[in-house]
Parts: sequence; C-alpha cells; structure tokens
Amino acid sequence: MTDRIVFEDVSRFYGEVLGVNKINLSIPPGITSLVGPNASGKTTLMNLMTGLVRPSKGKILVRGVRPDEPEALFKLLGYATQFDSFPRGLTGFQYVHSSLLLNGMAEQEAERKAWAAIERVNLVEAAKRKVDAYSKGMRQRIRLAQAIAHEPVVMVLDEPLNGLDPLVRSETIALFRESAARGAHVLVSSHVLHEVDMISDQVILLANGYVVAEGAIRGVREEISDKPLEIVVRCDQPARMAAALFAHDHMVEARLHADGLGLMLKTKSPSTFHKQLNRLALDGIEIESVAPADEDVNALYEYLIGEEGGTK
Amino acid sequence: MAVYKRSYRSYQGELTNPRFRFLILPKYAYERVFAPKYMVALLVAAMFFPIGCAAYIYLLNNLSVLTSLGLPIPSFLKVDATFFRFFLNFQGSFAFILTTLIGPSLVAPDLANNALPAYFSRPFSRAEYVVGKMSVLVLLLSGITWFPGLLLFGLQWSQAGWDWTSANWYIARALLFGGLAWVLLLSLVALALSAWVKWRTVAGGLILGVFGIGAGLATMINNILQTDWGSMLDLSRIMNTIWSSQFEIENSTGLEPFEAWMAFFAICTVCLLMLERKIRPKEIVK
Repeated sequence: MTDRIVFEDVSRFYGEVLGVNKINLSIPPGITSLVGPNASGKTTLMNLMTGLVRPSKGKILVRGVRPDEPEALFKLLGYATQFDSFPRGLTGFQYVHSSLLLNGMAEQEAERKAWAAIERVNLVEAAKRKVDAYSKGMRQRIRLAQAIAHEPVVMVLDEPLNGLDPLVRSETIALFRESAARGAHVLVSSHVLHEVDMISDQVILLANGYVVAEGAIRGVREEISDKPLEIVVRCDQPARMAAALFAHDHMVEARLHADGLGLMLKTKSPSTFHKQLNRLALDGIEIESVAPADEDVNALYEYLIGEEGGTK
Repeated sequence: MAVYKRSYRSYQGELTNPRFRFLILPKYAYERVFAPKYMVALLVAAMFFPIGCAAYIYLLNNLSVLTSLGLPIPSFLKVDATFFRFFLNFQGSFAFILTTLIGPSLVAPDLANNALPAYFSRPFSRAEYVVGKMSVLVLLLSGITWFPGLLLFGLQWSQAGWDWTSANWYIARALLFGGLAWVLLLSLVALALSAWVKWRTVAGGLILGVFGIGAGLATMINNILQTDWGSMLDLSRIMNTIWSSQFEIENSTGLEPFEAWMAFFAICTVCLLMLERKIRPKEIVK
C-alpha cells in the first residue's frame, strides 16, 4: 500500500465551516481527477495531502509519508496551486530555480533541472522575463514547471488546464499521461468534464465536503443502480428490437432515431439487456454498434452532484 | 484500466543542509532591494560616517603621540563610550531609514501575491520563512551598525593598546548587544507591520508611524498620569535607555534599564505573534 495515497477518516473544519468530512480514499498511481462544484472540498483535499493544512481528524499517508514530514514529503510531491502564487519580482527561471533550491538541491543541479522543467512546458524563450508580465496560460505553465521540476512521483495540480490554449493543453495532457505511464500519481482538479473524462483513469467526485463517488468512471456508473443505463444501438431493425426488448421488465424507455437506423434505450439491468441483445443478433437483426450514452463524468456529475444542488 | 510500469523515481541526489536553506530568501531579495540606484547610493552613504570615524580614531591616536610630549587632549576629542554611543546612534538612524524603505518589500508583496503556498509546498517551514526574510534586514543593518562599530573598536584597540582595551571592554559588548537589539527590533517591527497590512506603502508609513505615534502616546500618558511608564511605548526611548545602560552612560529617558528590556521583549513578542498569525499558507476553500 506504500504506492498509494491514503485518507483514513479525514475531516477538516475551518472553525464552524466544513472543509471536508469523513474522507476515506485509497488512490492508486495514475491520473486521478477531483471533480465537484465550487466549495465541494477539492482544494482542501489537495491542501491536506500537501500538508498546507492539517486535518482536524484522521490520518493521511502519501506513498507511506505523512504530510507533516515536509523533508520526506516534498521529495515525493510537487504542488501547483490553482491561483496565482508567485513571489513578486521573480523571472520564470528564478521562480523555478528558487523552488528547487528550497527543495534542497545544490545550485548547479537546481539550474539544470529548472531549465529542463521550463523546456518541458515550452517556456524557454520567456524564462528570463518576470512572471508578473506573463499571460494566464504562461503562468499556468510556469506553475506546472515548478511542480514537476524536482521530478516528484506525486503531482498535485489544482485546475492545471485552466487558461491553456488547445495546443499547450494537449501537450500538458501528454505530459500527465507520460508521468502516469511511468507510475506517478497525477492528481488534477478540473471543472472541464469532457477533459476529465478524456484523461482520467479514475475520478473522485466531491460535493459539500463529502466524497460521493470514487473509482474508475465505468465502475462508478454501474454502482448507480437507481438510474437506468442509457445505451445507443445502431442496427437495421430498431423497431423490431425495441418491441422484443420491451417484453421484459428491465426496459424503461426506447427512442427510435430519426434516420430509422438506431435507437436509444434505457435499461435497469445492463447484463440482462446484453444477453437479449445477443439473442436478437442471432435472430437476424444486424447490429452495427452498441455504446453507453451516459457512462461518462458528465453523467456521473449530473446524477450524483447535480441532484444535490451542486452547480454544473 | 490503464496498466502502469513503476519506473518513475523521484530525485535521489544529495540535498543541501536544511538549516541554511533560509539563506535562499536573502539571495533573491537583495537583487530586488538594490535594483533602484538610490538604494545603492543610500547604502554607500551609510558607510561615510564609519569611514570618517576610522580616520578620526587614527588621527587622534597619532595626535596623542604628539601630545604625549606634554600637550593635553580636550575631553570631547576622546575615543570613549560617548564616542561609540554617538556612532551607534548615528548609524542606528541610517538603519531606521533603510528599514522603512526595505522592510515593507519583504513580506507584504508575498502576502499580496498569495505567494506563501509556493514557499510552503517545499520543505520550508514558517519559522524558516520568517528567519529568511528577517535575515535580509539583519545582515544589511548589522553591516552598517554594530559590525563597523566593532571594526572601529578593533582599530582603536590596535592604536591605543591593551591598557585602553582592558579598561573599555564593555564598549565592544555594548556595540554588539546594543546594535543587535536595535537591528532585531527594527526587523521584527518591519516584518510584522508589513505582514499585517500587506501594502508596501502603507507598511512603510506604519513603520514610521509606530516610532512617531509611540513617542507621542508616551508623552501624553506621562503628562496625564504623571508617570514615566508611558515611555515603555516609545521605541526610541526604550532603545536609548538600553544603549545608555550598555555604554554605562547616564540616561535621562525616565526609564530604568530593566523596564526598557521588559518593553523590548514585550514588543518583540507581539511582533512574533503577529507574524505567527499572518504567515500561513493561504487556505483557499472551494
């Protein structure tokens, strides 16, 4: 379990205000997205694992290291905050370089690694300019550079894709994937759900300081049994298929596509549905494709958080 | 489900001694502090008086060789406790001016820029941050107060010989402790006020104000209540009492050395408490 980030019954209160409550998580390496509306506890969760705030209750271990052991923790961990967080007057290079010096690297090593990180985020040309003069996207990139410069195995990145143009966004996602592929933890918080869907191995959905769901997106969707699964089927006889399926209880709804070559189905029992689908295929219905329509973060967000009054 | 290789290794190289990492802060701070030319000019100006004093000590000692023939040296020309007390007073004023200019630019911009999480998401504690920022002022102010004072004492020692030194040893102690106390007080007040108000200009004004308002309040309390206890709010009077006691010179501040030290430690404690409250990683709750 030492390669996991573990939260055991963690709560954090700010006076009478709830930050997060009774969090139990065991996060494996890979890309994990924290998703939730404003004030759901995403940043608090990140601050807790980086030791910037202490839990009011419970225990946290980041790959076996407690967040109140900064020397050991920050060897493993790099953090990029969501908001502008720069000492005034520093150039991009100085910002990354001084961060590395604070991490305990010797002057020359810090310089080498600072340039390497700046190169990874494509900011070499602007590195000698003051961060104050950077655009939002450049600030985001230099923040990312300081978070990854000391080669951490745990990257905690608060809204790292905000303000990035599409090209840099895809380069950044590639960087996350590459790190995750080598066994690092990449924890990102995001509001952009289609991106979360695209990049995450798993999601943690938060609302009002509580974890409402966690795990691989598909697994989480299967757990929501009170919401019928939406499936889109493209086939040559959609009307016949709908009639055959409605002979059974699990079917909730079927809507034929306007082109007459497909239908959208809602079923309470995906396993029964798939068995019947096989039978219908053997009976001569030609099936072109079968795809879940609500097995994504967007749907999870709506089912689990949207109903609780969260904002999408 | 993605399958990952476990090939990623964090940095395993040697690390620097954590005890001295606070010195990274002055390294970058000095670059910024001395970017304006007037700051360099001010620092150079702060060196004129010590250089003049050094020349004076040299000349006076060589003059005394001549006067050993029988001519007396007037008492106001002597290099003694009063001379060094005046030196510390003069250089202390320069230190105050530098503090009002440099002090506000140390912590206030970090707080205004929400930069504290950037420092504390490193193996770097709040105490190290405060010590690091303080060291910017402590090193600089020491360089124009007690350090040149001790050099002058050494020069006088080399010129006047062991007899003078053994009789005036307390002057070196007074320069060191009196100078350090002033530097410490200025640094703490500057840091605490700039952490509290966050704005550089306001913080600079406040540092000036604390000394001015403190003196005014002290006089008011003393006059209304017919007491001397109000002087414990006057930072200049506190330091004058401490210096006078250190240099074993009579003082007319109305404060006893013990009271001055009590007030000194109380002010330092308040400043540390203010810093403890303000220097925290920003907690942004989403």
